Amino acid sequence: MRHAFLLAFLVACGGSPTPTGTVCPDPDPGTLTYENFGKPFMEKYCTWCHDKAIPRSQRNGAPIYHDYDSLIGVLETPDHIDEQAGSGPKASNGFMPPGRCPSTAGGSLSVDCQQPTEEERQQLSAWIACERVRPHTF
Amino acid sequence: MRVPFWIVIASALGGLAPGAARAEHDHGGGHHHPVDTVSSFAASVGLVAARYDTEVYAGDYQGVLPALGWMRGRFGASAAVGAYRLVENGLTRYGVSDVVLSAQATLAEANGAMFGVALAISLPTGDRYGGFGMGHMMVMPAVWGSGAMGRVRLGGSVGYGRAIGGEAHHDHGSWPLVDPMNLQELTWTANASVPLGSALQAGVKMSGGVPIGDGSNRVSGGVRAIWTQGQVETAFEVQAGFAGDPFILRGLVESAVHF
Repeated sequence: MRHAFLLAFLVACGGSPTPTGTVCPDPDPGTLTYENFGKPFMEKYCTWCHDKAIPRSQRNGAPIYHDYDSLIGVLETPDHIDEQAGSGPKASNGFMPPGRCPSTAGGSLSVDCQQPTEEERQQLSAWIACERVRPHTF
Repeated sequence: MRVPFWIVIASALGGLAPGAARAEHDHGGGHHHPVDTVSSFAASVGLVAARYDTEVYAGDYQGVLPALGWMRGRFGASAAVGAYRLVENGLTRYGVSDVVLSAQATLAEANGAMFGVALAISLPTGDRYGGFGMGHMMVMPAVWGSGAMGRVRLGGSVGYGRAIGGEAHHDHGSWPLVDPMNLQELTWTANASVPLGSALQAGVKMSGGVPIGDGSNRVSGGVRAIWTQGQVETAFEVQAGFAGDPFILRGLVESAVHF
């Protein structure tokens, strides 16, 4: 019975954002890039709120400076992305996207958010792990 | 004027706002210490409204702040919590804050001056990710004192606050939104009040926190009036944040009954 209560408590709490421990293979396979994975992923799941063009009062709680409408924006807070939405050997984080989303960027929370599959979350962490160590010119 | 027991408790708690209690230890508010040998109690409710603009969040919040207090002789204890409606970057959330438990003792009293110690502990009942709580326990010992200078009563305190256990990252700037505090800091308060009649007092108050290690210096100040009618005391306070993004402007109304 005590274990049942503990389990119920942990489920209710939902755990906490945890680094997934994903590392980029050496050498970098280069299979997941911003163009073929990161950009479409962010546009599908994140930039409804995490877009620098959305004013603060319409971000539905998204923190300022957490804007994923560009690669440089993603690379400003890669750990947060991994801890909120990524999946890897040490954790599977499903804190983002939230339950409700706007149907248009910056709109009110009117629809259920699309949720990435477990495979997409693993790809997200894998891409972040590699992209952050790749050379960039910006 | 009878010893306003409630004001002693309120002073010990920094106006009873849970955050003020844990972070600012606003002792020595300028009131005589009751030397009663029987227990007395107090119950209060406060209403708070504020507008804030931190590093990554902006918005406003409104809260209801219930509190209970007990005092006997030189010793007192209290418990306080807040229930908030919090708007952060356009998202409205509802939640409770961290619970703050506080105990205090008056160590010395002479010629209207007092000196004492206090210990406040906050429990991580507030949602850390929603901006309602620290996400960990805080322990906050403090020393406080007060004394009279003519009609003006001066008071102040110096304390230390430290996070105990839990997750120790505040990576979104000033946090929690409803009552920011550093993971480790020195806290201070300074206040002055003057009676404007048999039932009314007016005063000013400054408070803040100086981080030890990572964090930001926090300073706020305000003016307040306390109206006493029988066993009921009502305080009105307007505060402004000067450093560290605690809030832009905050208003507080508290009413307490002591028995």
